Formats: sequence, structure tokens, C-alpha cells
Amino acid sequence: MAQFEDKVLHELDGIKEYDNPMPGWLMAIWWGSLIFAAAYLVFYALSFGEGSMEAEYRAEAQRSTASVQAYFDAHPIVPPKAADLLAGAANPAVLEMGAARFAKTCAPCHGAQAQGLIGPNLTDDRWIHGGQVEQIFQTVAKGWPAKGMPPWGRALRPEELSALVSYVRSLQGSHPPNAKPPEGDPVTPEPIPGS
Amino acid sequence: MSNTVRYDDRTPRLFFLAAVVWAVVGMLVGVLIAAMLFLPGLNLAPYLTFGRLRPIHTNAVIFAFVGNMIFGGVYHSSQRLLKTRLFSDALSKIHFWGWQLLIVAAALAYVTGHTQAKEYAEAPWILDVVIALLWVVFAVNFFGTIAIRREKHLYVAIWFYIASIVAVAILHIGNSMAMPYSWLGSYSAYSGVKDALMQWWYGHNAVAFFLTTPYLGLMYYYLPKAAERPVFSYRLSIMHFWSLVFVYIWAGPHHLHYSAVPEWASTLGMLFSLILWMPSWGGMVNGLLTLRGAWNKLREDPILKFMVVAVTYYGMSTFEGPMMSIKSVNAVSHFTDWTIGHVHAGALGWNAFLSFGILYWIVPRLWKTELYSRRLATAHFWIGTIGLILYQVSMWVAGITQWAMWRAFEPDGRLTYPDFIETVTRIVPLYWVRLVAAIFFFTGVVLLVWNVFKTIRKAPAGFDEEPEVKAPPLVADLSAPGATTGPDTYDYAFYRFQHALRHGFHRILEGRTVTFTVLTTLALAVGSLVEAIPMFFDRDNVKEIASVKPYTPLEVLGRDIYTREGCYLCHSQLVRPFRYETERYGEYSKAGEYIYDHPFQWGSKRTGPDLHRVGGKYPSLWHVRHIQNPRSTTPGSVMPRYTHILTSTLDAREIGAKMRALRAVGVPYTDGEIEGAPAAIEAQAKAIAAEVEAQRGPRGLADKEIVALTAYLQRLGTDIRWKPVAPQEPLAPAPPPAPAAPAVAAAR
Repeated sequence: MAQFEDKVLHELDGIKEYDNPMPGWLMAIWWGSLIFAAAYLVFYALSFGEGSMEAEYRAEAQRSTASVQAYFDAHPIVPPKAADLLAGAANPAVLEMGAARFAKTCAPCHGAQAQGLIGPNLTDDRWIHGGQVEQIFQTVAKGWPAKGMPPWGRALRPEELSALVSYVRSLQGSHPPNAKPPEGDPVTPEPIPGS
Repeated sequence: MSNTVRYDDRTPRLFFLAAVVWAVVGMLVGVLIAAMLFLPGLNLAPYLTFGRLRPIHTNAVIFAFVGNMIFGGVYHSSQRLLKTRLFSDALSKIHFWGWQLLIVAAALAYVTGHTQAKEYAEAPWILDVVIALLWVVFAVNFFGTIAIRREKHLYVAIWFYIASIVAVAILHIGNSMAMPYSWLGSYSAYSGVKDALMQWWYGHNAVAFFLTTPYLGLMYYYLPKAAERPVFSYRLSIMHFWSLVFVYIWAGPHHLHYSAVPEWASTLGMLFSLILWMPSWGGMVNGLLTLRGAWNKLREDPILKFMVVAVTYYGMSTFEGPMMSIKSVNAVSHFTDWTIGHVHAGALGWNAFLSFGILYWIVPRLWKTELYSRRLATAHFWIGTIGLILYQVSMWVAGITQWAMWRAFEPDGRLTYPDFIETVTRIVPLYWVRLVAAIFFFTGVVLLVWNVFKTIRKAPAGFDEEPEVKAPPLVADLSAPGATTGPDTYDYAFYRFQHALRHGFHRILEGRTVTFTVLTTLALAVGSLVEAIPMFFDRDNVKEIASVKPYTPLEVLGRDIYTREGCYLCHSQLVRPFRYETERYGEYSKAGEYIYDHPFQWGSKRTGPDLHRVGGKYPSLWHVRHIQNPRSTTPGSVMPRYTHILTSTLDAREIGAKMRALRAVGVPYTDGEIEGAPAAIEAQAKAIAAEVEAQRGPRGLADKEIVALTAYLQRLGTDIRWKPVAPQEPLAPAPPPAPAAPAVAAAR
């Protein structure tokens, strides 16, 4: 650090102050930041509206809509048939997947054994929005937001959604303890193949 | 006219001791709440929950620990730099005891749920008045000391003290404006977006003028003292002082990127933050280069070790800060633990480490003895440094992880982690690392306490004898009329001016306290006014929305419970215009939705999910069960249980005073609404209690706090979203075609 002159300017209470210049790199970056800020401000002021966060958001939404559309064009959704949903209710692998998702997503409101808690009991033969497996699928996918049932069609993978419905169907008539009293209309459950 | 002065060292001794005590308290609470973040069972509701303890942690560290360090350091160094005794022994006493009582009172207010719910400005309005009065005491004592100085020129440390005192006064008064409804309760005078802007003008500049500029002043005194080296560059001092004072005040809105605050404001905040980088580094460079020729001492001297790491950390966080103020970087860091890491880099790395260095230097001198153990101090340094680094790294990783998980999408447009809780449980291991870091840092403080205690025990008898030094005559006498020599002509006056200019214009300024203080105030005022005035006078900045209506009386009471429990410390109420936020939470937040929010509750950290669109998302019974035991509705949740909200009777007695206070700050309640409030509360409470009962929930909640809180939560964000939502298309009987496809398409 020999480049500094180290000329003492003042002294106060034993503290001396040198008259050294400000480091060049520091001043260069400082001027750089000032110029950048001025340029950004001009650029920003002139292009106001287009570069705004709302415009950014709209562009982002458009891009994602397009990419999701492209995905579904390439991978069309095959809606599960009632027979498949019912067959799942007899398939241990499907039931395992459904049970895992149920514990995470449904149990908080419907109870760990679907006995009903905040939401209705799912094990009895009464259904508020229809008890056919395709109707249950609709309810899970689209929800009944006004009644507190959120739509899960956007949050869960399609195979999980189907597994969930199969699992719920498999719980019919399981008579868990502390079951919530029945709500809705009586429904005769569709038969599960092989049972 | 005596030619000696006696320094008052008792006052600095008291302040430094208090700083040590509050460091222990503040950091111990910090360790506790670091554990609470992932061990919810540690919360002991109602008084000892995260939401009520976090203000104690932040206030104790900022205003008690750092505050007492500032007062001790200012009072100790100013006497020596101005060669005079403190202005008034009585004011010093009032200042010391007043400040300690204030801190105790504020802590009691926070545990009992009395808060204004604005970060770092939580104290109830009555304590805000006390703070202002004590600040006046400090200012009178300090400027009085300058008035009786015996050194003409003010040293750079004093410049920083002046700026800090003026700025904190402006910030505190500006942000604390509120309309009281009782001795401890009040509503912010500003609403929503304006409140947010005022709060972060304050919050950011509290960092600037409470945690930074006074500490730069301390650095300019204690670092050259401890290193026994001259200050590197006087010119650099001038440049970075004035640019910090002028630029800092503009930077506040960088806390509000992608929010409902108008973009011009946050853009200004970003640009001035970038400009701020080099002025901040001016302080670091001046500190580090002052050590030229003393680097060899670093090997043995723990004091210099602390100071060097402190100054380096100052440089790191003043690089990180401008970087985080860039909009696209802020989109990543905001609401995550990255911010938490950043503030601790400043508070632990810069403030605490500089404090430790100063304490190890000053305590032996004030007690006229030697430090008890340098080895212990060195051990403190290494333990503290390990804690610092662990803290930084764990929070960086946690922050980036949160952001990456929040924004992750699947190719079919679903969020990869639709359950917010997954993004919480994933970072729990990092919270463990942070807890270990906090324990390390705290252990270092315990070593400090022991070292200080043993050092003080060694103090010789008569250590408290006031030091007496030879002093030049009072500056005031020199500049009195008739004191100047030479002919009283314009020519001679011009000659004197030229003579003074030989040392530069700034040198003249350093001899003129009033001019100096006025210029400092002007530098502070420019940025404040340019950003504030358009917000208050240009209605375009907050576009009104016709459907947004004031809260009902019950919702007002519920909102008070929300602020009382400090919900805003973990939950934001601000959906940013990003697809991953609108997908998760709903429509992004608009400025006009907040016009009746006194105070705003946007929060700055998402430990839990955003709540701005929570209204109508769940049945009321869900909220009841969730408040009672969050893990019953969200397995793995780290939120405390708030059983007392279900059992405590709702106190609606103050509703009239509350609504009148709200009306005074601009919420258009009519006389009829205020008179009819008790009836309205009863009716809405009964309706919610009935809904909960109908959902087979607990009975008899109509007079409990939970109905008010539920009413508020169910109202949140619904004024614009629930414009009559298209009734669900009938699903039963089930239509046979493609059930899943419309679910995806319909929500688009």
C-alpha cells in the first residue's frame, strides 16, 4: 500500500486522519451506479406501462397457458370410466396410493377414517352431491367451494385423483367409530367387481 | 474559566452494562423463538407464543442492546472528541433509567398482546410518546455537549451521531402517527398502501440510522483507538457520510417490490439502493484501510478480530442489500428465510461483533484494569464466527429452497407442491442448523458476560474517580462577539474566509454545528418528501374499488385479535402478481383493497401461507379447529395452538371507541353504524356460531373470540374476488363425458 501518501491532516483525542484519496475503483463503481440509475429511470419512464409488473404477469400467464395447452394437446386427458374407478377399489396398489393421498389431503376435514369431521361422513350410504363414483370424482375434482369443499382437480395428479375416488368407494360401509350423522340422500353403492 | 474538564464516565459505564444485559435477554429470546419455529409445543399460549415473543427479540436486540451500546459509545466518545463533560448529569440519568424502564414496559406490553403490529415499531402509542420524549432528552444532552465543546471542529464520528439523532426522530414520529382508542390501543393514521410505504420508509431507515450510522460513528472512534492507526481517508469520510445521509432515506420501498405499492416508488427504492452500495462500502474501506500497518496485531488481539469481521460483515450485508433490492432478485428472496439471514448478517455480524470488540476494549478502560482473559475473548470470537457462518448458510439454503418449491410447476400446469406445508417441513432441518448457530452465538455472549464480570471484579478501588484532563477554552467563548482579533472590515472578513477555506469548505462546516445539522436534515428530507407526497396527494396511486367496504364491527374485533397475536409475523396478506402465487392463493392483491386497513398487515415473511385470499376458502369450522390445534387440519403444521381464542370471551366493550378512532383516520363509519355496533356484533357472531354448529362443530362459541377472528379471516380478500361467483354448474346427476378435462379448463 505504498501508493498512499499518508499525509496527516488532523488529530483529535489521539486519532489522526490521513488525507488519502478515495480508491479509484470505488469511485468508478459509484459513478457507474449513478449512471445506471439515471439510464434505468429514463428507460423506465419512457416505456412505462409495457414493462410494468401487470404486463409481466399477463405475459407470464399467457406463456403458461400456451405451454399447458401444448402439454394437453400431446397428452390428452383420458377421463376415468366408472368401471375403472370401481376396479381400483379392489386393487391394493391403487388403494395404497389413494389412502396416502387421503391422509394428506382429505383427512383434516373428513377424518382419518373418513368418519366425517368438518366435512361429511364418507363411509355411510348418504351423499350430498351424489354417491356414484363418477359423481364423487366430479366433487373431488371441481369441489363445492361455496360449501367449503375445495376443488382438487388442479392440485392432484389425475391418477391420484382416481385412486382417491377408488379408495373412498372402498370405505363404503366401514362403520368407523365416532361417525358423523348421515347427511344427504341415500345412494346404493355401485358394486365393486370381484366382491 | 477552568482549564480542566472532568469526564462523566459513570453514564457510559451504566449504558455499556445495560447493553450486555439486554444482549443476553434479546439473544436468549432469539434462541427460543428459533426453536419455536419448528417445535410448536414450545409455545405457551397465550403469553409466550412466537407472535408475541418475536417483537421482544427484535426490540431487545435493536433498541435495548444496540441502543444502549449507541448511548454508551456516544456519551463516552463525544466527551473525548469534544473535550468537554456531558451537558447535564440529570439528563444523563433520566435518559439511562428512562430507556431501561421503557424497554421493560414494551416487553410487558408485547407479551400481553398490546402491539401496533408494525415491525420494529410495535410499541403502544403511549410508549411511542415516551420514546419521543427520551429521544429529546438524548438530543438535548448531546447537542448541549456540542454547545459547550472545547474543540472547534467536529470529528467524523460526531457527524454520524448528529445524522442518527435527527433521522431517528423524524422516522419515529413519522411512522408512529396513530389514533388512540384507549391507553394502550390505537390504529395507524395511515391506511393500507400508505401505511406500508411509511412503515418501510421507517423500517429500512431504522436499519440505516439506528443500526448503521451510529455504529459507523462508533467505528470511527473505537477502531482507530484499538488499532492505534490513523483513519485512512478524511475525504472518503466526507464522501460516504453525505451520500449515505442523502441516499439511504430513498431506499425504503425496495421492501415492497411486486406489491400493491405503485411501481414508481419501488423502482426508486431499487435504484437508490444500488447507488447506496459504494457509499456503504466507503465506510468499510475506511475501516479496513485504517488497519494498514496493524494487520499483524490481528493475530493476537481478539478486539481487532471482532472489529475486522464486523466491518467485513458490514461490507457483505451492504452488498447483499442492494443486490436483494433488484426487482428480480427480490422476487426470489422476499417472504423467504433469505431475508432473515440478511438481517442477521447485519445485526450479528456488524452490530453485535462491533459491540463485542468495543466492549472488550472499553470495559477494562472504564474500570481502570486489564481484561480478565484474552483467551476467553478469542474463544468468544471463534464460537461467534462459527455461529454467524452457520446462520448465514442455513438461511440462504432455506430461502432458496422455499422459493424454488413455491414456484415449481408440473408440465400440466399444476403446482408441484400444492400443499404449503410441504414447503415448511422441507426446511425444518435447516431450522435445526439455525438453532445450533443461534446457540453457538449465544454461548459466545455468555463468555462475554463472564469475562466482563470478572474484569469488573478486578477494578481497583476508586475506579469511578472521574478522569480529569487539560482542556482548551470553550469554543463558544472564542466565537463570541469581540473574541475575533483583527480589524472589523469586509476586506478582513474576506481574508478570514479565505484563510478558513485553505482547509476546504467542509472544514468550515465542521465548526458550525447548526449549519451542519440543518444540512443533514435537508439531505434526509428530500428523499422522504419526494416519495411520500405523491402517495398522499395523488389519488391515482391507490385506485379505489367500489366493492371494497369497511370491516363490520365484529371483523374489526377479529382484526384486533389477528394483530394482537402477531399473525403478520408468519403470514403475509399480499399476493404478488406471479403465476405461482395467483395459482396457489388467488387473484393478486390490489392497492384499493387495503384502504380500510389500519395498520396494513402485509407481513414480510411467509412461515405460513399468504392469507389475503383465505376468505371463503374453508368452512368456518375449519378455522375453529385450525386455531384450536393447527395440526388437526394441517398435519405437520408448525403454528402454535391458540386454544385461548376459543375459550376467551370476546371483549366488545371498546367497539364504539375503536370505530370512532377508525373514523378519525378515514374509515367512513356512520353514527348509526357505531351505535348499532353491539347489535351487529351479536347478530354476525350468532350467525357464525350457528354455521359452526351446523357443521357439527363445538357449541356455544357465539360470545367467544374465535367468532370474531373467523369473521375477519372469512372476510379477507373477498371484497373483489367474490363478485357473485358463478354458481357451481350442477354436477349431479353426473354427466358422463370427460370429467377431468373441464376441471382443468374451467379454472383457467
